Amino acid sequence: MRKRRLLRRGWFGTSVSYIYLTILAVIAAFPLVWVLVSSVKSKGEITSDPTAFFPKEFTLDHFKTVFGQLHFGENILNSVLVAGATTLVAITIAAMGAYGVVRFFPRFGKALTRVLVTTYMFPPILLAVPYSIIMGQTGMMNSRVGLVIVYLSFSVPYAIWLLVGFFQTVPLEIEEAARVDGANKLQVFYRVALPIVAPGIVAVAIYTFINAWNEFLYSLILINSSDKMTVAVALNSLEGQEVLDWNVMMAASAVVVIPSVIFFMLIQKRIAGGLAAGSVK
Amino acid sequence: MGSRRYRAKIAAFCFILPALLVALLLLLYPVISSVFYSFTSKHLIKADYDFVGLKNYIDVLTDADFWRSFFTNIKWTVASLAGQILVGFTAALALERIKHWRSFYRTILIIPWAFPSIVIALSWKWILNGVSGFLPNFLVNIGLFEQAPQFLSSGALVFPTMVFINIWFGAPLIMVNVLSALQTVPKDQYEAAQLDGASPLQSFIHITIPHIRVVVGLLVVLRTIWIFNSFDMIYLITGGGPAGLTETVPIYAYNIGWGLKMLGRSSAVTVLLLIFLLIVCFMYFKLLDQWEKEAG
Repeated sequence: MRKRRLLRRGWFGTSVSYIYLTILAVIAAFPLVWVLVSSVKSKGEITSDPTAFFPKEFTLDHFKTVFGQLHFGENILNSVLVAGATTLVAITIAAMGAYGVVRFFPRFGKALTRVLVTTYMFPPILLAVPYSIIMGQTGMMNSRVGLVIVYLSFSVPYAIWLLVGFFQTVPLEIEEAARVDGANKLQVFYRVALPIVAPGIVAVAIYTFINAWNEFLYSLILINSSDKMTVAVALNSLEGQEVLDWNVMMAASAVVVIPSVIFFMLIQKRIAGGLAAGSVK
Repeated sequence: MGSRRYRAKIAAFCFILPALLVALLLLLYPVISSVFYSFTSKHLIKADYDFVGLKNYIDVLTDADFWRSFFTNIKWTVASLAGQILVGFTAALALERIKHWRSFYRTILIIPWAFPSIVIALSWKWILNGVSGFLPNFLVNIGLFEQAPQFLSSGALVFPTMVFINIWFGAPLIMVNVLSALQTVPKDQYEAAQLDGASPLQSFIHITIPHIRVVVGLLVVLRTIWIFNSFDMIYLITGGGPAGLTETVPIYAYNIGWGLKMLGRSSAVTVLLLIFLLIVCFMYFKLLDQWEKEAG
């Protein structure tokens, strides 16, 4: 309640804040709402009355087209496999790395942040050239395993960054007690430290999954057969077809965006805290 | 004793080894090979290539299109970043201010952050569609325009429209991080300042800004890089068009590498991009170091 006192600036500023936030919320949410509304309107309606909000006749036909005719289920499975494998591997590597730095090499903390920022600086398009050459040389072009390996390049650094903040909260005393009881480093790590940061790990894992699910460029250049395409690239190739059916496009978009939005809402508070904590340390 | 300490060191090192391998094999090695290929005539499909010395760099640096895309990139970055910071910051302050519905607003406002780039592209292309899109028709209906505005194909509108979409997408990240940085400001300082008769604006400038600028500063560094490198959104919405008006350096590099199939020259473009970003980053870090010192 102290905060309220210090921000006491009369009703005018508060009203302006509400109005401003309401306008922003409408703009922020509109594309999602419009995707959903357009995906259930009839074919004629979206062209005859482009500004009507509520659908006159509700239909799920476009979703049937997406899964039936376009075999979108296959692409969803690809994305789940690629994003899932990326998450599993990246989180394992990143959790060990973040713990290792916090516990054994604390002096490298600041250097690590800068190295991570530097990797963040590599333009994806810069890495795209060597990746496509390397994957061609090693026969991993058009392979989902190859895509997972490439996805580690951005998911591991990001996950380490977020996880360092979580591991810093683990009290050293608890770990020392376990050491005295005869546990080795690895046991201390997964029996003592990991359970304490488990909620953080789950949040970072979901974030990693969303980022891999959303990724576009590497998937575009490394995968070229439609049965191996991830959802993002499959949606893009849908747009390249001759007859552009916006109903179907919006139905497919809804299928891709809804899991991202839901998962993201679940973890946003944790991620934001970690991001800020990771960036000061 | 000596060998035990040695073994402990090795065990500790094992924890960070996989992460180091990722950094070396997936980041350092590709970057070095990019630099290598930038001196060759590497083709997207053909296997053999020759060394061409600085030819790729000379070709790129003497290409008017490269410079146009470079300046478009600067404009794109500055305009998007300024907009994202302005909207993100003001939204965070407004959220701090209100008492009810705070987490409702916050949840709605972060929706764009979760959007995959392909859905950002498709949803906005549909909303802005010149024939059946919501916004052009809405603007005609309320009498603001006589004819449906062509947001993505008109030369005058396309750049501001793209910047708007980028602000829509990026402001939530700034907002959320500014919000959590605001939580770290010691509240008693505000009260002391208020007792001393400081205005809210003075408190903001002398207490809030110095406390959050290191965190927010790093965030700005990351956003600058990210926006500068952004590829998906532009590629998917305009492909750099119309008439190259939204072609940034990453799009230019893609068109050379995958359009003209000249991977060697494309590498030269991306290496130049990286050098430029390294310089920008280095200057930012100098500034952040100075701020950290001032903060004590």
